[in-house]
Amino acid sequence: MSKQEKEVTVDAGMYVAREKIHPREVKGPFQTLRNLAVIVLLGIYYGLAWVQWEGRQAVLFDLPARQFHIFGLTFWPQDFLYLALLLILAALSLFFFTALAGRLWCGYACPQTVWTEAFLWMERWTEGNRQQRLKLDKSPWNSTKLLRRGSKHVLWVLFALYTGFTFVGYFTPIRELSVGVATFNLGGWETFWLLFYGFATWGNAGFLREQVCIYMCPYARFQSAMFDRNSLIISYDEKRGEPRGGRGRNVDHKAKGLGDCIDCNLCVQACPTGIDIRDGLQYECIACAACIDACNGVMDKMDYPRGLIRYTTENAMEGQPSRILRPRIIIYGILLLVITAGVLYSLTQRTPLAMEVMADRNVLYRDVDFETIENVYTVRILNKDNQAHSYVLTVDGLPNARVITRPERIHVGAGSTDTIIARVQVPRGAATGPGHPIELQLTSQSDPDIQSTNSARFHGPDE
Amino acid sequence: MTKVWCLRCLGSTLWPSFLAAAVASVVFFASIDPETLRMQTLPDWSISRMAGYTIGFFMFWGVGLLSSSLTYLLSGGISDRNE
Ligand code: SF4
Ligand code: SF4
Repeated sequence: MSKQEKEVTVDAGMYVAREKIHPREVKGPFQTLRNLAVIVLLGIYYGLAWVQWEGRQAVLFDLPARQFHIFGLTFWPQDFLYLALLLILAALSLFFFTALAGRLWCGYACPQTVWTEAFLWMERWTEGNRQQRLKLDKSPWNSTKLLRRGSKHVLWVLFALYTGFTFVGYFTPIRELSVGVATFNLGGWETFWLLFYGFATWGNAGFLREQVCIYMCPYARFQSAMFDRNSLIISYDEKRGEPRGGRGRNVDHKAKGLGDCIDCNLCVQACPTGIDIRDGLQYECIACAACIDACNGVMDKMDYPRGLIRYTTENAMEGQPSRILRPRIIIYGILLLVITAGVLYSLTQRTPLAMEVMADRNVLYRDVDFETIENVYTVRILNKDNQAHSYVLTVDGLPNARVITRPERIHVGAGSTDTIIARVQVPRGAATGPGHPIELQLTSQSDPDIQSTNSARFHGPDE
Repeated sequence: MTKVWCLRCLGSTLWPSFLAAAVASVVFFASIDPETLRMQTLPDWSISRMAGYTIGFFMFWGVGLLSSSLTYLLSGGISDRNE
């Protein structure tokens, strides 16, 4: 990682084929939308870590204790299914939205875009607008440059460190963590991950920027497979714009044989990935719509209709009708709905109790006395609820079987596990030979609906 | 040109292996507790779960990096764009 950063910092000055991109600041409805997205998403990221819920952090991935808290719910490694379903849901929604609206994700919601935007704001505050930044790049080192560059980097580093701190705060309670930071008393692993994540943020949002999208992002490469002719894309209206060319404001360009594009290059300057949208759809385009806002501003000044660059579909560009409801949209949509509904339903039905039963491997069975045979099991109880419970174990499957646990009522604290020994006793003769199926059932005393059943085998003597 | 080459080489090896390592760690540690693993293999070595996760993650990353680098090498590097 460090090597990579070094390459890029050197890059900014020495590499000619792709110069450091200073996107021009634009104003317009899409820029406003994007700013809003940045504020909301970063607000959630930095804010959520501090939200408390029922006396503990609302969202906490407590890796040391191997449990995830998400508001009222607690997930255990046994709930891995939910995680898998969540990942499937995420992938499906990506397919769905890509087919529908193109790279909506890239332009508005991708962390890479969001943090880059935030870093750009800081760059603007300290180094000024595009022109000033370009000039600053060229100017020799003097006190102004030192001050501006310096304050930018101070801001960047502080912001990146705070980002890393918040990241770790989702895994270690953030309040304890902040005390640890304030007293310079942070654990080694926490320090490591804080710095690691901060460093990655700083490198990705400060230096790599569009190169992450162009060279590193897998989604950028395979999203074209999810597109079709009805997907929303950002496109330049070639028929309307060409032939491009400069002209005065009051010239009748149509009479001169010119199209609507005045070749002002503002769309190229606004583009964070440094491409020219007029060359057609390119995989570097992250669909941020900055060029739309830039060009619409120009069109307004020239008194031309807006939308020379606009959101459109390939079909619409060719004058054919665009359809929203197409087989792939419907299939993705239905799958999304079904899985979401399934997850929600199973979450409401989830029993906050789990149990594992392991037979004693050393002895198959024991003779307690002349009348009784006994099998011993180790039972692991996992109370996933947010309150403590007392449980009672019962057995089913063999006539007159009973189970003895010590103590009889098993008390397990909220979100804790306990391991007990259960002895199942059966009258001699009721179970001859090995492998009788039995069922052990654990029931909460305060709430009989909370119960868990496990099957096991009972071995008797051959007679 | 070497700067770009380097950046792309790192971009197409470090990054995919990082993603793969993240997924692998989640799946692996969801089903296996590093604590049990340690107890069964090196009971005298006292490290925390956090350390176990971290070591596991970097191990996955290392293996992924090796594989990505070999693929990169064998497929003759990148030659699709701008060259
Ligand atoms: S071409 Fe337009 S939409 Fe695409 S990345 Fe550049 S500015 Fe954004
Ligand atoms: S901003 Fe619009 S008018 Fe200016 S060069 Fe781009 S497409 Fe042409």
